[in-house]
Amino acid sequence: MKLALAIASAIILIVHGLVFYDQFFHKWERHQTAYFDQARTQARNDAERAELSDRSPKIEQIIVTQFGDNRVDRCTTCHLAIDDPRFKDHFQPLKTHPYSAALGDVQRNGRWERRHKFTDFGCTVCHDGQGRGLETEYAHGNDEHWNDPLTGYVTQANWRKEFKTHLVGKEYMEANCAQCHTEENFPGTPHVNRGRELFFRTNCYGCHKIEGLSEGTLAPELSEAGHKFKIDYLWESIVDPRANLATSFMPKFNLSDEDVKCLVVFLKSRRGVNFAETSLARYRTRMSPAKAEITPEAVLNKAVPKAADLVSQGKQLFEDRACTACHKLGEKDGGIAPDLSFEGKLKDEEWLRDHFRTPRSRVPDSIMPAFRFSDSDFAALTAYLASQQAGAKLADGAEIFKTLCSRCHGDKGDGQGKTAYYLDPAPRDLTKRAFMNSKPDDRFIKSITDGVPGTSMPAWGKTLSDEQVHAVLGYVRTTFVKEPQRNLKAHANVPDANPTPTSKASVANGEATFLKRCAGCHGLKGDGKGPNSLDIVPRPRNLRNRWFVTTLNDRRALESILYGVQGTAMPSWIDYGLTVKDAADLLNYIRSLNPPPAPAPAAGKTIATAGTSPRGTE
Amino acid sequence: MSDLQVQDPPASAPKGGLVTALTAFPRNVWDSIFRHPLPDSDLGASQTSFSNFFLHIHPVKVHRNTLRPLYTMGLGVMSFAIFLLLTITGILLMFYYVPSTTQAYDRMLDLRGSVAFGTVLRNLHRWSAHAMVAVVFLHMCRVFLTGSYKRPREFNWVIGCVLLLLTLFASFTGYLLPWDQLAFWAITVGTSIAGYAPLVGKKIQFLLLGDQAVGQEALLRFYVLHVVVLPALITLLVAIHFWRIRKDGGLSRPAEADLQPDGKPLQVQIVQGNASGKQTFGLMGFVRGPFTKVGNTPDNSVYAWPNLLMAELFVFVVTVAALLLVSLFFNAPLEEPVNVLHPPNPAKAPWYFLGLQELVSYSAFWGGVGVPGIEVALLMLVPFIDRKVSGVGKWFAKERFLANTLFVTFALLNVIFIIIGTFFRGPNWAFVSPF
Repeated sequence: MKLALAIASAIILIVHGLVFYDQFFHKWERHQTAYFDQARTQARNDAERAELSDRSPKIEQIIVTQFGDNRVDRCTTCHLAIDDPRFKDHFQPLKTHPYSAALGDVQRNGRWERRHKFTDFGCTVCHDGQGRGLETEYAHGNDEHWNDPLTGYVTQANWRKEFKTHLVGKEYMEANCAQCHTEENFPGTPHVNRGRELFFRTNCYGCHKIEGLSEGTLAPELSEAGHKFKIDYLWESIVDPRANLATSFMPKFNLSDEDVKCLVVFLKSRRGVNFAETSLARYRTRMSPAKAEITPEAVLNKAVPKAADLVSQGKQLFEDRACTACHKLGEKDGGIAPDLSFEGKLKDEEWLRDHFRTPRSRVPDSIMPAFRFSDSDFAALTAYLASQQAGAKLADGAEIFKTLCSRCHGDKGDGQGKTAYYLDPAPRDLTKRAFMNSKPDDRFIKSITDGVPGTSMPAWGKTLSDEQVHAVLGYVRTTFVKEPQRNLKAHANVPDANPTPTSKASVANGEATFLKRCAGCHGLKGDGKGPNSLDIVPRPRNLRNRWFVTTLNDRRALESILYGVQGTAMPSWIDYGLTVKDAADLLNYIRSLNPPPAPAPAAGKTIATAGTSPRGTE
Repeated sequence: MSDLQVQDPPASAPKGGLVTALTAFPRNVWDSIFRHPLPDSDLGASQTSFSNFFLHIHPVKVHRNTLRPLYTMGLGVMSFAIFLLLTITGILLMFYYVPSTTQAYDRMLDLRGSVAFGTVLRNLHRWSAHAMVAVVFLHMCRVFLTGSYKRPREFNWVIGCVLLLLTLFASFTGYLLPWDQLAFWAITVGTSIAGYAPLVGKKIQFLLLGDQAVGQEALLRFYVLHVVVLPALITLLVAIHFWRIRKDGGLSRPAEADLQPDGKPLQVQIVQGNASGKQTFGLMGFVRGPFTKVGNTPDNSVYAWPNLLMAELFVFVVTVAALLLVSLFFNAPLEEPVNVLHPPNPAKAPWYFLGLQELVSYSAFWGGVGVPGIEVALLMLVPFIDRKVSGVGKWFAKERFLANTLFVTFALLNVIFIIIGTFFRGPNWAFVSPF
């Protein structure tokens, strides 16, 4: 025991020794001593030399009071020579901070004078990093828990390797310049300016809100993005939106690295509050939001003369508002949203107008944001799209499929086209034989000709002839299904029309069955988002999709319930004891969720609140 | 009987004279403070213990069983050593800390960066706090598994349980003080667990936080609880805990430990002072065994000085050394400054509450209130339920198979839940593998 006691005591002694050593031999003391020595050899006169000899290492700090919360910047403890021009070629940390006319520094009588004096600004106002730290790792923000490492200079160990090289460069500091220089086109911050423009040009503003700039509600607000997130997270979120949230439906925009960088710098400059604003100014802006100085129109309509007629006005708007950031029109293809090249033929003006105002009023699960354009802008855009009347002059089924179908259904017909991820319901997988061979051809012909209401499948019959429709179906059958269709027998016991007239009792019975049998996948609300839905492809049908449900005929609905949908997770419920009467009640319940729209224009709202709550009577 | 005689006064009677006074000054001061020299006899050992403020909490003699290292593992002394260390480092940290939402985090940065010994102080305090929770828990396991909560030690067991809860609460209140993301969200989670209690839950939560959410009021409350209220309560209860150990007859030991070497029960022989008055008894003569008595029969006890003191010193030094080493190599965590709008995913409570958080993820009521409430109630009531006195003083005694098995199961379940909550839970509290 005595030996152990001796060892333990020795450990205590040694640890104390180490701690003391650590406390009395700081790295910064060595930097300061080095500075005093070298400055002494370069001193011009004895007085200066004597003064330097009198100095001994101590912690230097600048207390900055004018920029946000009080800052304590101890950077000058190591970087002692930042204002000493003799050290301009010295290595760090004893290097003179460069003088720059671009930053407003002026030369008077051979001596530079700084515009941004360190005594006023400190260091971290521009450079970030942690002002209080005295060890390089903490001071420079290498520590992963520091949100703002020396911006443009330091990358943290846990940042993704492929991004790190992009996250270095002085231009990232512009985000800090913009805290004071908030003018829209301040020449010192080209990256912020470009980023702001891109924010509108790539339609970020449609979904994201930034106070004073945009009003989007679909996606997270970015007013304080620069305060909340590190630049690596911002970069990652733009180039790989699903990295952090697997269910994110943010499109992956095809941006060059340079553009991503501009967006990151711009977003990093969004800190909620900036130094240039007084609280009074903020209050004023809030009280009169109409006066927001920067609007999409202001940024994007620059130097665009108003065209005479509605169509060319719409064309300009269409290009200006960067609709092709997502959609396809002609040669331009954003690769995210449907092709609009034949829109004038496929959709009528009413559809277009409704869809512009509230995209979800026509395609209930659309991810398209509701842009807040003026009514005249909507009218112009509608007119322009309605003018897209180009008919498809296409030779055979293969060409038709390639031009019209493959963008969503994929080149291999597997439903994995480039827009597929963003469409809900997803494009049908045409290679799934179980499904393709369980439905009669008229059903497919009808889907191609009339489209599927409430989804992104348009009514191609408006631009294709009957032969062409048959040709493309034939192409799908021979190329993707690759299996001759069996003779289908219609289920004799399924009636053509719902045998049970709708009534309170029938709906209540249907609801009870629904909650017991269907809600697991189709959700308590019937919106197709039940707890099991995430693992199921294709996704369970949204039964609150009014457009889909109202055009669905009784026979198909009853058949799907009773005999399942082959190639999907929908089982054949007749095997689980459901009778035709149960299915009829279910159908009555589902129809009761989707009443015909009220005469009011806000069709989207009606859908959301209509019908009795599925939990209502339980 | 001669060793019971009070020591004679120093042979040389004090003489007058300034020179003598001056030369004898250091010696006189020393003697005025320490009435007895370092002991070289049993009598001296007793007297030294008796006359020293810090030592007289010890009995003059302790049972040999008390000193068996594998019996107690020194866990009680270890807890106390850590508590002392926490008090000292805590007081030093208080010189630098400001319980203000705008300053607290900056003070942490200062402690890490520019305050002399700041890093090591903070590390020591942090790791000691974690260690104390663990050691106090292990101490409780030792006491249970040796059956030491039984008559007459029932009340001391209850005090021990209260001390465990106070330790947890002290650690929990301290967790908020750095005012970083880790602290803020851990306390947010921890206090919402309290909010799941029926009827009074929300009130307790409000009482703790002084607000609807963690903020300045909560910081101030936690600070006052952490530096004044809880340490004072712990000190008081520790004092009672120690005092009761002696009043309950020292540490528990098996019945056969009190037998004489020949296997006969210990006979207490009462010796009266005789009428001639030639013999005098010091008070320490009365103290032997569980109760005050006079006698000089052989028993199984040894003098506390030096045996017990050395053992305690050993535990103390080893504990301090271990914590210093840990503090040298591992820095106390300090995460991002608080951002109320940006919770980490997952937000986790301090590790000792992660078992509860894991349970809460199954059922808010049972995890937050039901299970811990029942566990604490059972723990406190156990000496009043389990009244058999057999099997005391032995690890895993056969007679106590049922009780020990139940206890080990509960303890292991808690540990397993804590391990799951700590290592196996990722974003959205989904199961992840740490490997």
